[in-house]
Amino acid sequence: MDLDPQTLTKAAAFTGGAIAMGLGAIGAASGEGYTAGHATEAIARANDRAGDIIKNMLVGQAISESASIFSLVIAILLLFLSTPEPGVLKAASLFGAGLCMGFGAIGSGVGAGLPAGKSCIGIARQPAVGGRLTTNMLIGTAVCQTPAIFAMVVALLLMFKEPGTTAASPTWAALIGAGLSTGLAAIGSGYGGGMAAGASCEGVARQPDTAASVTTTMLVGQAVSQTPSVFGLLISFILLFKAFPESAALSDSVGLLAAGLCMGLGGLGPGIGNGMVAEGAVRWVARNIENAGDLMRVMLVGQAVSQSTAIYAMVVSLVLIFVV
Amino acid sequence: MEGLGRLHQIVFTIAGQRFVVNLEPLVMTWIVFGLLIIFGIAAAHKKKRLPGPVQLVGELVVTQLYGLTEEALGARHARVYSPLICALFIFLLLSNWLGILPHLEEPTRDLNTPLSLGLLGFVIAHYAGIREKGFKTYFKSYFEPVFFLMPLNLIGELAKIVSISFRLFGNIMGGAIIILVVSHLTYSILLPPFLNAFFGLFVGTIQAFVFTMLTVVYISVQIK
Repeated sequence: MDLDPQTLTKAAAFTGGAIAMGLGAIGAASGEGYTAGHATEAIARANDRAGDIIKNMLVGQAISESASIFSLVIAILLLFLSTPEPGVLKAASLFGAGLCMGFGAIGSGVGAGLPAGKSCIGIARQPAVGGRLTTNMLIGTAVCQTPAIFAMVVALLLMFKEPGTTAASPTWAALIGAGLSTGLAAIGSGYGGGMAAGASCEGVARQPDTAASVTTTMLVGQAVSQTPSVFGLLISFILLFKAFPESAALSDSVGLLAAGLCMGLGGLGPGIGNGMVAEGAVRWVARNIENAGDLMRVMLVGQAVSQSTAIYAMVVSLVLIFVV
Repeated sequence: MEGLGRLHQIVFTIAGQRFVVNLEPLVMTWIVFGLLIIFGIAAAHKKKRLPGPVQLVGELVVTQLYGLTEEALGARHARVYSPLICALFIFLLLSNWLGILPHLEEPTRDLNTPLSLGLLGFVIAHYAGIREKGFKTYFKSYFEPVFFLMPLNLIGELAKIVSISFRLFGNIMGGAIIILVVSHLTYSILLPPFLNAFFGLFVGTIQAFVFTMLTVVYISVQIK
């Protein structure tokens, strides 16, 4: 088969678009299903509140959908945007953009479903605080979407990067690596942030008086859970903007691809782990407000330890980029 | 499909620097301003004890948002910041709704609008933090819980601007693209009004509210 630059670029764009939308549909769909499942449970428990619960469910689902809407935007742009400078580099960056957005949407989609579902149950339990629960749910879901937004930013940067006169050989791998790094690292952080937000909706329903502390603990917990995806973003930026010297050796290219893969996969676990810590802390702040300070401290220390593995991954990635 | 990525721009050069002005968001923003001024005059002009419909809507928006701000910031700060929050919300709401009218576009579809509003919220939140806690305590908060986490705290703060503005931009832009593509595929028969209702009215309202609440939360995190 004979591949001219134009065909190669188009082929990469189509594959990237398919991956972006295909993978991007996984998370949001599961998250919305979780929400609807809990809404049915809530309606069964408190049938007279069915209207409020359905309204809350629809609002929550609309936000979970954002992650897959981002995927759709990237997919459609990949399919229809004209490519003025076709070539290996353009092809790599379009394919990388697809990978980045596809993976990046999974975690946030599932994660955003958790607080939406928990807040439906909460309304059934405490109808009087319905409005506050919906507000809390909106803040929680919006913040747990941040990793998917990072993925969209990197995907857009990749798509609109002009290849210029950069040497094709190691840079193509760096571009795909940049996509993988943010995309994969966003999965864990998105889901982890959702766990913290879910616990906060449960907590506000259980103890409405503690709402202010619960929301603050949730925001801090989510911010720390998002650190692995910030590491992913950092590695992506280095891979995107560093100028690599030309080299024909395959090992140099694969090293850069591996750097992205290492940070992406390495960020996956710590994101979920940090989410678990935050979930526990938020839940128990609601039940035991007197010890909120201690709980927050333990949460931060626990998250720092669980995050050390993401730091190992980042060190290996940096070594792969700068040393080897 | 040729509507995708089409932009009217004015490009001019001052002292060797190239400036680009996107015309559409500029015009649309002024249309929103105009509508808001008309709404404001209609709501506040001839205030009555028994409010008319427009005054009622105005009062509803202001009391609701005032209540939400007070819940998050406390009564003292709510007096200072709730006018800003109300203005932000109704501006975003009307901006996101504007796209349902033919030939008009949401100003929020252009990244410049959400990004500048995100920057505005960021600057105000940090200003509020410095004024409330004093510069020393504010500065120290970057070195908590451990000293060497400073770069991460800094990146985390800057990431807030990116996430808040791209969330709004992505949703509105996404809705616009979906409406464009579906209308093109179905020759604009039957489906577009429903899509406009969903993405324009429903998602637009939610995203305007989310953006506003996150701005409130960012301020409240800084002043506590």
